[in-house]
Amino acid sequence: MDLGNQQRIKDLCDQYGNEDLIVVLGGAEAEASGLAAETVATGDPTFAGPLAGVPLGLKAYHMFELKDEVDPAVYDEQVGMMEMVLDVDAIKAEVETYRAQ
Amino acid sequence: MSYPVLKGAAYALIQGNDLALYQGSTAAGERYTNPDSEFLKELPAHWRSFEAAVAYPPNQAYIGNIHPRALREIPRPWYENGLPDAKTEGKYGTIASEDILYGLMKAVDTFDLVLLDETFLAPLKEKIAALPGLSQWKCLEKLDKNPADLAAITEQVEQQHAEPLYFAQQLIGCVKRAHEYDAALTAHVLTENLVAKASASFALQQLLNKCELKAEQVDYIIECSEEACGDMNQRGGGNFAKSIGEICGCINASGSDTRSFCAGPAHALVEAAALVQSGIYENVVVLAGGASAKLGLNSRDHVKKGLPMLEDMLGAFAIHISVDDGVSPLIRTDVVGRHKIGSGASPQAVMQAIVAAPLDAAGLKIADIDMFSAEMQNPEITEPAGAGDVPTANFKMIGALGVMRGEFERSQLPSVVERIGMPGFAPTQGHIPSGVPFLGHCREMMLAGEIHRAMIIGKGSLFLGRLTNLFDGISFVVEANPGKKAAAESLDGLTKTRVGLVVLGSEHPVCELVHGAEQAAAADPRLDVVLIGCGDSGMLHGVEAADADAALKKMDEMLASGELDAAVAMHYAFPLGVSTVGRVVTPAFGRKLYIANTTGTSATERTAALVRNAISGIACAKASGHPQPTVGLLNLDGARQAERILRQLAENGYEIHFAESSRADGGAVMRGNDLLRGVPDVMVTDSLTGNVLIKLFSAYSSGGSYEALGDGYGPGVGEKYGKVINIISRASGAPVISGAIAFAAEAARGGLPKLAAAEFAAAKAAGLDALLDSLAAKPQGTAQETVAAPPEKVVDEEITGIEVFAIEDAVQLLWKNGVYAAAGMGCTGPVVMVAREDHQRALQLLKEGEYL
Repeated sequence: MDLGNQQRIKDLCDQYGNEDLIVVLGGAEAEASGLAAETVATGDPTFAGPLAGVPLGLKAYHMFELKDEVDPAVYDEQVGMMEMVLDVDAIKAEVETYRAQ
Repeated sequence: MSYPVLKGAAYALIQGNDLALYQGSTAAGERYTNPDSEFLKELPAHWRSFEAAVAYPPNQAYIGNIHPRALREIPRPWYENGLPDAKTEGKYGTIASEDILYGLMKAVDTFDLVLLDETFLAPLKEKIAALPGLSQWKCLEKLDKNPADLAAITEQVEQQHAEPLYFAQQLIGCVKRAHEYDAALTAHVLTENLVAKASASFALQQLLNKCELKAEQVDYIIECSEEACGDMNQRGGGNFAKSIGEICGCINASGSDTRSFCAGPAHALVEAAALVQSGIYENVVVLAGGASAKLGLNSRDHVKKGLPMLEDMLGAFAIHISVDDGVSPLIRTDVVGRHKIGSGASPQAVMQAIVAAPLDAAGLKIADIDMFSAEMQNPEITEPAGAGDVPTANFKMIGALGVMRGEFERSQLPSVVERIGMPGFAPTQGHIPSGVPFLGHCREMMLAGEIHRAMIIGKGSLFLGRLTNLFDGISFVVEANPGKKAAAESLDGLTKTRVGLVVLGSEHPVCELVHGAEQAAAADPRLDVVLIGCGDSGMLHGVEAADADAALKKMDEMLASGELDAAVAMHYAFPLGVSTVGRVVTPAFGRKLYIANTTGTSATERTAALVRNAISGIACAKASGHPQPTVGLLNLDGARQAERILRQLAENGYEIHFAESSRADGGAVMRGNDLLRGVPDVMVTDSLTGNVLIKLFSAYSSGGSYEALGDGYGPGVGEKYGKVINIISRASGAPVISGAIAFAAEAARGGLPKLAAAEFAAAKAAGLDALLDSLAAKPQGTAQETVAAPPEKVVDEEITGIEVFAIEDAVQLLWKNGVYAAAGMGCTGPVVMVAREDHQRALQLLKEGEYL
């Protein structure tokens, strides 16, 4: 996960706590999305960024998992095309793994 | 107005193993945070030899020795499947080693900042001067100046903040800083800029070597890398372009730099095209060198996964844009897409802005673009780093956009992606993969007539500069040059009609069919004929197929993906309700006559079939440019009844113009004389009679074995039929094939499927259904109830031998037993079509039901 984003999430978590904060991912690929979910949950596994060794305990959801939470017209406009292109099931499964841990 | 052209394209790759370890941002970052890191120690063990880098198939595609699509046939991992006879020299460029780069950096260094150890440099001088075109570089004399030894270099690196240069992990030189504290002139920044300048100069020399352009003819240079040169008062002041032109002797050129991250090259090409089209400059070169920072960018993942360090290549290119020469592909400056500030950042908003919007504005569809080139990163590099297959993702997005626009079915996505795309083959050097690597191949494919249009796309992530979160993207269309003669026509916006001809299955040799196809193409410059079932002919593009069935399947795929507008085949299983309308030359006065119909079944009841044939015939004649065709009915059983219904339709408001027989008794019912004289435009008949008539009119002088006259059995027409497929026979000779191709093109251009739908809708509005229902009792079927169809399958097996009136009942019987089936018309009569796996069971069921 991008080092700048790690810092931003860390700052937000410091400011608001982890109770009412979730991370919404838009990654195009399962492994990278899972890595991002892992980073915000248990810390940066690559030990490269500000979240190295910092388990924020945040839950991450991929946008595909939040389909039912969004106005269908907006979802279709923003995500509809990529839903046809990407491996939705693999991404969902991978991200879900890290919430379960 | 004339468009500017893509006159030439050249490319260069330079290996940079040590640069990756010392100047690459990944390794440099690691060294900064963790100097003793295991990763840094391990990285050199993952380096490739120069020979392995040359043999690497994507690199061979980049310099033009293999087509990118050839990568589809080479098994992954490509790094384990190097090409055995790979050469450093390619059709469009060359591959050089890292020591050459250091020499070039010293040669292009105007301010004596590069020091190279004399023992390293001495043997290099000859090697560099021997490279094609480089002996002309005046700056090579710099190699003899300012000699240095290892002690001086070490002192510079250790005491004076110089950037060390290594070769095979030995210190061999350095780049000095140019100012004591100016952050824009540090040794590291200068190294990056000199790498960009040296590699771009090398690429420009390739262009001058391999294309017609001479250095002094260049009017303007646009450099579009992602580096910035300047000092602390103007960090990105420029001008790389002129500094590069100077090296190659472009004494008449000026230039400037254009930046937009990875989208830079596409922006620069649009600017170059505009400068040429406006007449400001005649010869503009767009070029960029490589980025040392991006060497080994994903090497952490490559090392972790045991791969070679695949990001060891600096990429560079130089593209020549010039005035229309009547040959080179055109840059369609009227089909330029841009991501606007207000476009939005979601992937589909981006694709809408840069792909769909310009096509819409030009009246083109996604299907009108043969190939797309966007972000051609080599997937073997990006996949292990979790970034996926970037080019394929782009092709899928373009296909998905087509689905959302209703151009394709979702199920067609894989075939669309295959048609419009190619595997990524460019090094991950940011601006380098961004659309431009394909231009050399694109130019060659267009000159060979293999593709007609391509869209080049550049995309950029502007957030990296921390000034905006906006996305960026720009696209333009490259189009085959119609040549000077046809240029005026093409510029009026005429698009070519693509007609496929299946060449397998004839009684004549394949060359007879190819000859017919070439006649049709020669007669109509707006026609692209594609041969299906053989290779390229001297004039036409061919698509190979194993046998006639495979060729038909290929034809179907090409029609479905929009690659073809129409097709001509010797056999096609049209569904029930679709029949063909043929066209012959009548002997008395040479008039053309539409015969409706000649194969297929429009309806199982004879009179209803005649009425429907009349409507199909009218649609077909209209599509070919007869706004008010006259209709006559051949004097056959049922003709009077059909005439009564047609006259009733006319009374109810359906527009129909009846012909008048040339015999004394007149009327719309036609006799032999009327056939010979071609009295009506459309002659209505049943399909068996029509079939005989076509044979008689086209082969009366050859005994039937060679059809020499007319335009064949014609396109399949039906109320809801969406394709244009014209039928010829196995005896059709070259003149008939040529006529059939022209006939198919007319039908496609005239919008036959839509016209047919409109004709049937108009006839229905005039009471067609009720009039047909009033006819004699329905055919003697046995099935009473209507059964719901099982889930649809691809039906590729035909069952013949069932009576036409029982064909629907046979289908119902299979449906009732859970077998998906469809009725159709084969070349010998009606057929029931089922999936291969259901074939045996269907045969058994039909036998039990006494249909067979």
